[in-house]
Amino acid sequence: MSEFQWVLKGRCYKLGHDVWHAGGVVPSWIITGRHFDPKDIIPHLFEETDPGFHTRCKPGDIIVTGKNFGMGPKMNGYIAMQALGLGLVCESMPFLAYRAAIGCGVRVMTDCVNATDLCDTGDEIEVNFRDGFFINHTRDIRREYPPIPDALMEIVELGGNAGWLQQWQAKRATAGS
Amino acid sequence: MSALTAVEKVLAAKSGRNSVKPGDVVSPDPDYIMIHDGVVMAAKRELDALGITRLAAPDKVMMVTDHDVIYGSARAAERGAFNRKAAAQWGVKNFFDVGRGGHGHIFPMESGLLLPGMFYFDNDRHATNAGAIGAFGFRMGTEISRVLATGTNWVMVPKTVRLTLKGRLQSGVHARDVGFHFAAMLKQEKLSADLDYRVLEYAGDLEQFDLASRAALCSTPTEIRAYGVFVPPSPAIIEHAKERGQRPFTPVYSDADAAYDADLTLDISRLEPQVSLPGSVENAVDVSKVEGTVIDHAFIGSCGSGMWEDLVTAASILKGRRLAPNVRLFVAPGSETTNRRLASEGLLGIFIEAGAVMLPPGCGPCNDAVIGPVHSGEVSMSTATNNNAGRFGAKDAQLYLGSPATVAASAVAGKITDARKLN
Repeated sequence: MSEFQWVLKGRCYKLGHDVWHAGGVVPSWIITGRHFDPKDIIPHLFEETDPGFHTRCKPGDIIVTGKNFGMGPKMNGYIAMQALGLGLVCESMPFLAYRAAIGCGVRVMTDCVNATDLCDTGDEIEVNFRDGFFINHTRDIRREYPPIPDALMEIVELGGNAGWLQQWQAKRATAGS
Repeated sequence: MSALTAVEKVLAAKSGRNSVKPGDVVSPDPDYIMIHDGVVMAAKRELDALGITRLAAPDKVMMVTDHDVIYGSARAAERGAFNRKAAAQWGVKNFFDVGRGGHGHIFPMESGLLLPGMFYFDNDRHATNAGAIGAFGFRMGTEISRVLATGTNWVMVPKTVRLTLKGRLQSGVHARDVGFHFAAMLKQEKLSADLDYRVLEYAGDLEQFDLASRAALCSTPTEIRAYGVFVPPSPAIIEHAKERGQRPFTPVYSDADAAYDADLTLDISRLEPQVSLPGSVENAVDVSKVEGTVIDHAFIGSCGSGMWEDLVTAASILKGRRLAPNVRLFVAPGSETTNRRLASEGLLGIFIEAGAVMLPPGCGPCNDAVIGPVHSGEVSMSTATNNNAGRFGAKDAQLYLGSPATVAASAVAGKITDARKLN
């Protein structure tokens, strides 16, 4: 647990405001077809806005978005982001989209005011999700933003709700309750 | 201690704290854990795969059957059998099988299971209906499995928006009309508030609203992203809860000096019956703007309009009348109790004589069109919770929404009609 990487450093991938989950994050058919296996979703992440995104992104890369990211709260895109080791920094998200991202174990910070003014696609970004730091090394900009709340860190560390529940059950079994 | 809103008081009390504020993360101990028939299978399989076969609090679990009540397919019957077995394996105390209870967001308030001041977790977002009795139900979605396993889940304390209603509704205008109009006012920016993950708390001239009208008030804000709705319980609501209550309860009210994220006022004294045009509840206009639109399909029911008083309103219009030849009307009472009362008080005959098709208590077409759907190109007038494209059938069908009175009058006339003008 102590080795969990709360600090990600990588390439910035910038999106605008009002990105719908269906269409903007993953194609609608991924959602309606109930695809929850990361292998099935990854090739289609951001497919409609940036075909081939999954071949270019690397673990540690950060998606920086404008307001209202992930409208129409669904899990599918976050499953892929978690599996790819990507971070997410949003100016705002509908709360249930944020909840879905946390539940999928995504390192995510929201309410990051004007974050899209601080970076561009391709910039070298470093984000500390535990302490709430955002650093753009390309432009030498540093900001503080609200980090992941303490109470939710364990869910993210364990890879999301499924991992959290698995660990809860394992602990209970060990305790012999 | 600082002043608190109703939701802050309830979440603090259920979390063993003196106080909470918006943004705090708490794990409340719920009065109930509700799960409906459509999602039991997924939750059970998820927990079984983890080796979790015992629930934290089976006595608190309320398993309801309202989404697919009469099994229109072999698959639905299979799901029903699975649910029955799951209820037995889990030892669920309150299992409401087919023909028992009715709509999970209606009958617990009617029967005194859900009482003022309570808090519960639910898989479904229409848990907001709890606000009608002065309680809170929070939607967990697929995370209901964690609640079933552990007895709780994390909740971030939401902010509260207050909406003060001024004046009395005119005769023939319904609480659903208030919700449609409010949504339109927000969309048109004549009122300004962000309802995302907020509790919408009503204030003002609320004595005029009975329990059914309060459920109606809870409906539309849910469709525009409110996470909770709260109608401070009136003396009449408290009396209802005392009469039916199956355990002691403590009503909760916001402190007079509590802080609100936004404070809005809406004059409802001159409101006309509203119709939400296809696509969104926010597209509400006065009924006069769309009178004459020919309809094919009509539906009265859903968690927003399925209570006894809603059906009394509809029956008062259908009495002695027949549906227009071009219209099929489906009616889904909210509860088995209401169904029996319709029979014993003679209202069932009115619906049947008018030519309506009675559906079993539950969601009716408003759940993914498992029953009574619309076909491509058809026009529907209903009291469904929302009219997003494809809500109950073909995506290119035109779904209009109105109050039970407007829907009943339109079904009789064969076209959208102001019930006050029906000959």
